[in-house]
Amino acid sequence: MEFDRETLLKLGKLARISIKDKQLDFLSRDLSSILKFVDQLKEINTENIDPTANSLNQNLIRREDEKSNTNNIEDVLENAPEKELNFYVVPKVIE
Amino acid sequence: MIDKLNIVKAAELLKKKEVSSVQIVKEYLNRINKGKDLNCFNEVSSTNAVKDAEASDERRKNDSLKSEYDGIPIGIKDLFCTKGVTTTASSKILSNFVPSYESTVTQNCEDAGLISLGKLNCDEFAMGSTNKTSFFGPVKNPWKSRGSNAELVPGGSSGGSAAAVAADLCTASLGTDTGGSIRQPASFTGTVGLKPSYGRVSRWGIVAFASSLDQAGPITKTVDDAAILLEIISGHDKNDSTSSIHNKEEYFKNLNSNVKGMKIGIPKEFRSDNLPSSTQKAWDDCRNLLKSNGAEIVDLSLPYTMDALPAYYIIAPAEASSNLARYDGVRYGLREQGSNLIEMYENTRSEGFGDEVKRRILVGTYVLSSGYYDAYYLKAQKVRSLIKNDFNNAFSKVDAILTPSTPSVAFEIANEPNDPVQNYLNDVFTVPVNLAGIPAISIPFTNDENNLPIGLQIITNSFEEQKLLNIAKNIEETIQYKEVPEKWWVK
Amino acid sequence: MIDGWNLVIGIEVHAQVNSSSKLFSASSTKFGSSPNSQVSLIDAAMPGMLPVINDYCVKQAVKSGIGLNAKINKKSIFDRKNYFYQDLPQGYQISQYKNPIVGEGYIDIESKEGSKRIGIERLHLEQDAGKSLHDQDPKYTFVDLNRSGIALMEIVSKPDMNSPEEAVDYVRKVRSILRYLDTCDGNMEQGSLRADVNVSVNKAGDELGTRCEIKNLNSFKHISLAITYETKRQIKLIESGKIVDQETRLYDINTGETRSMRSKEDAHDYRYFPDPDLLPLVLEDQWIEEIRNNIPELPDQKKERFIKEYSLSNYDAEVIVSDKATSEYYEAVVKGRTPKLVATWVTGELFSVLNKKNISIQDSPVSTDMMGELLDNIKTGKISNRLAKDIFEDMCETGKNPNSIIEEKGLAQISDEGEIEKLVDEVLKNNPENIEKYRNGKIKLLGFFVGEVMKLSKGKANPATLNKLLKKKLDY
Repeated sequence: MEFDRETLLKLGKLARISIKDKQLDFLSRDLSSILKFVDQLKEINTENIDPTANSLNQNLIRREDEKSNTNNIEDVLENAPEKELNFYVVPKVIE
Repeated sequence: MIDKLNIVKAAELLKKKEVSSVQIVKEYLNRINKGKDLNCFNEVSSTNAVKDAEASDERRKNDSLKSEYDGIPIGIKDLFCTKGVTTTASSKILSNFVPSYESTVTQNCEDAGLISLGKLNCDEFAMGSTNKTSFFGPVKNPWKSRGSNAELVPGGSSGGSAAAVAADLCTASLGTDTGGSIRQPASFTGTVGLKPSYGRVSRWGIVAFASSLDQAGPITKTVDDAAILLEIISGHDKNDSTSSIHNKEEYFKNLNSNVKGMKIGIPKEFRSDNLPSSTQKAWDDCRNLLKSNGAEIVDLSLPYTMDALPAYYIIAPAEASSNLARYDGVRYGLREQGSNLIEMYENTRSEGFGDEVKRRILVGTYVLSSGYYDAYYLKAQKVRSLIKNDFNNAFSKVDAILTPSTPSVAFEIANEPNDPVQNYLNDVFTVPVNLAGIPAISIPFTNDENNLPIGLQIITNSFEEQKLLNIAKNIEETIQYKEVPEKWWVK
Repeated sequence: MIDGWNLVIGIEVHAQVNSSSKLFSASSTKFGSSPNSQVSLIDAAMPGMLPVINDYCVKQAVKSGIGLNAKINKKSIFDRKNYFYQDLPQGYQISQYKNPIVGEGYIDIESKEGSKRIGIERLHLEQDAGKSLHDQDPKYTFVDLNRSGIALMEIVSKPDMNSPEEAVDYVRKVRSILRYLDTCDGNMEQGSLRADVNVSVNKAGDELGTRCEIKNLNSFKHISLAITYETKRQIKLIESGKIVDQETRLYDINTGETRSMRSKEDAHDYRYFPDPDLLPLVLEDQWIEEIRNNIPELPDQKKERFIKEYSLSNYDAEVIVSDKATSEYYEAVVKGRTPKLVATWVTGELFSVLNKKNISIQDSPVSTDMMGELLDNIKTGKISNRLAKDIFEDMCETGKNPNSIIEEKGLAQISDEGEIEKLVDEVLKNNPENIEKYRNGKIKLLGFFVGEVMKLSKGKANPATLNKLLKKKLDY
């Protein structure tokens, strides 16, 4: 599986990581190598096998509908790079 | 007296009042300072550690100890969120992040009175097996090859945690293991590294890499210490939906090194011509040792275990690509400027993440994307079922499985593979364990012809950590591994 | 059907679950609090945070599923829907993709042709996103995460609706059921209930056309207008030889038009995968049964009962049961009284006042007791129906009960024949020409005499008695 420029740039967009032109080549090479490595799995017969998403053999535990007041605005805003009037502030999306 | 301390010895000394917690802590801080060259620590808690030690000594005076391990200093991998102390995941994107909360694991340690000496360097976001991907630079293995001055990798991702213990910069440390990140560096540094069963230890407050694989665990000098730390950090956490309701156990108290009648499996798929002969010999010697001690050796086949590595390098990056989406510069961490939101995201993440992290995010994004999900992600999850099945079958025949921990000993930091997959091969023996969610331990068995540590891995079924520790203790008692590296880093 | 064109509509309703805390975190769900005051570490997606599911939200979803006559799936999975947006802190939404908690169901709506069954595809639980304020600053967006993480039920219909009216009726019915169950307050202005509408057109006989999705409609009026506009737009495109692009559109309430959402680059690839932080949700049979046994009477059952018990017309019953509070009000008043009379007054005078004041029946200025008292006075003949309307207005303004008002204003109807006769005699005495005209054939003048006596009696004369006496005296 070869990673062409277009695929790479599309992936970058999806992952919100910009890839500079000069990086494209060796990134493409690296990722192609990784993909070639994982492609081995194609050889394995997995017909009628159920996938495992989590190895823990347990069902989801549900909690009571209770509000806790342990978190306040300082905790969630103190590390914000930009904030105003208790809002997080970000540059606009271009419409 | 404070030389080569481990948790058990330190507890004894403190109890007999032959030494105070402040003395121990100050000595370690001194060593850490002298050992800066190793680059084990991202942050040293010089002031807080002494304060905590003073408080511990006070509690000892008033007979109000938190536990018998009150006052003993350990190191914490910089992946655990520690309240008021910078937590970076060894990444530029979190280099200024100070959490207002404490992870469950480190809180458990605090509740037992353990003292943090600081945050240990690791591969960025726990992605790597060399500790070279850290934003804060590589960690150097305290071990050097005989007759060579070349700096070696300590392994990863918990490289700092393992190196610090091996260099005696702390009594023990905490790491995390997603594909071998505790066991592989333990093997490279001659220390004991334990990955508990998935769900045994809470993940709350640990920077997530691959949610269905991550587990926190101890890196120590002895099996006793590993049992003690495991006891302290394990247990159900209602804040973690993947935390097992399995009861807590008294691993240290119940340690029993008798292996008579136990069946030890030797899986043929782990054998290879590429294995260094000294590693093969260590594996054989250990097998014989266990046999002499009364265990029965059983030949096994785990047919799908060699498929674990490619499956892992689909599943782990997939989960990581999603777990790392929150690092976007909006609410915390690095933010780079951008004229609009998308530009801000792209600049922040491109600048904030290192190359290996970016590679894995891109691979993860790819294997989940429309058109590729079935062929890659779903396929890998099915192979995962096959691997789990292999182990289930094996454990119906044996109590434990013995393998080498790593396919080689520590190699040079300067060694730059020309393709990322070469580094991934370091995890070939450790990764199947994470996929199956079962526990495993790496213990130092012997050093090779170049005086570099060789670790062996013992694996048991889920929630059989007691058995695991017992077998490890048996080996440890028999071989009495006493090697320590020469202190070349002390300035 | 419009001139040979078929209209096919499918609707996704997003209903905020009525619960104290959020779906996966313990923050409050209260509406309208100050920015970021109801945001926990989990909601803010801080490093190392993990979701823990709220049992009550699960219960509410199951309740809703039962109310929608749907299959409850004992095992369901939570998946991550991955995309980047400033009010989506995790960079993914926890939702359900292939294995939702509720499967296929249906509801019945009343259409002109009678009852029509609208199929429901599924109902699943997911997290709501935060709020972005774009108009606080020309260059920046302000983000409030209070809403982030609140539980939403996404209810997906089958494409069974064929007109704007049916679409509105469907949403009305779903809203009504959820309100009956108390699983969602259905407050569309506050955004607790919103609809995404999928519209496509095709010529009768042809296969289905390309559908467009119109997002975030939050009033019945907008749903109707948006569908109407979109239908016309698509028909116009096709008739002029163009193709309808499959796209997501927004309804502009100012222009009345739908427009394409330009900010979407390539189609989103959400890369759904099972959330590894959450294990499978497995519901116990007994737990589900207990919920089923405690489901209150729902609109359809209530309507059937009202028609049977109170002999109400289909229309009246439909109107009264559409809102649970209204049906409860009705039943409180109708005890021991004439059902039709009560129905007329509740859906007539009372609704009129509520609409004018823009309040709900829970805030009615007239309590059920007072309403009952008023109707009793009509029944006994103490006041006329017409007078009752005036008294009702008074009750709404002053909050006084009808008996007091009748007492104070001396409004009790005059039923005494003698008294009425006196008034009749006076009117007749003063209008001899009209008596002549009446006797000569202008029988319509009866109304005139009635009016005059009423004026004299200040509206209090008992109409039946008055009529009898007048006729007696005029038709000799």
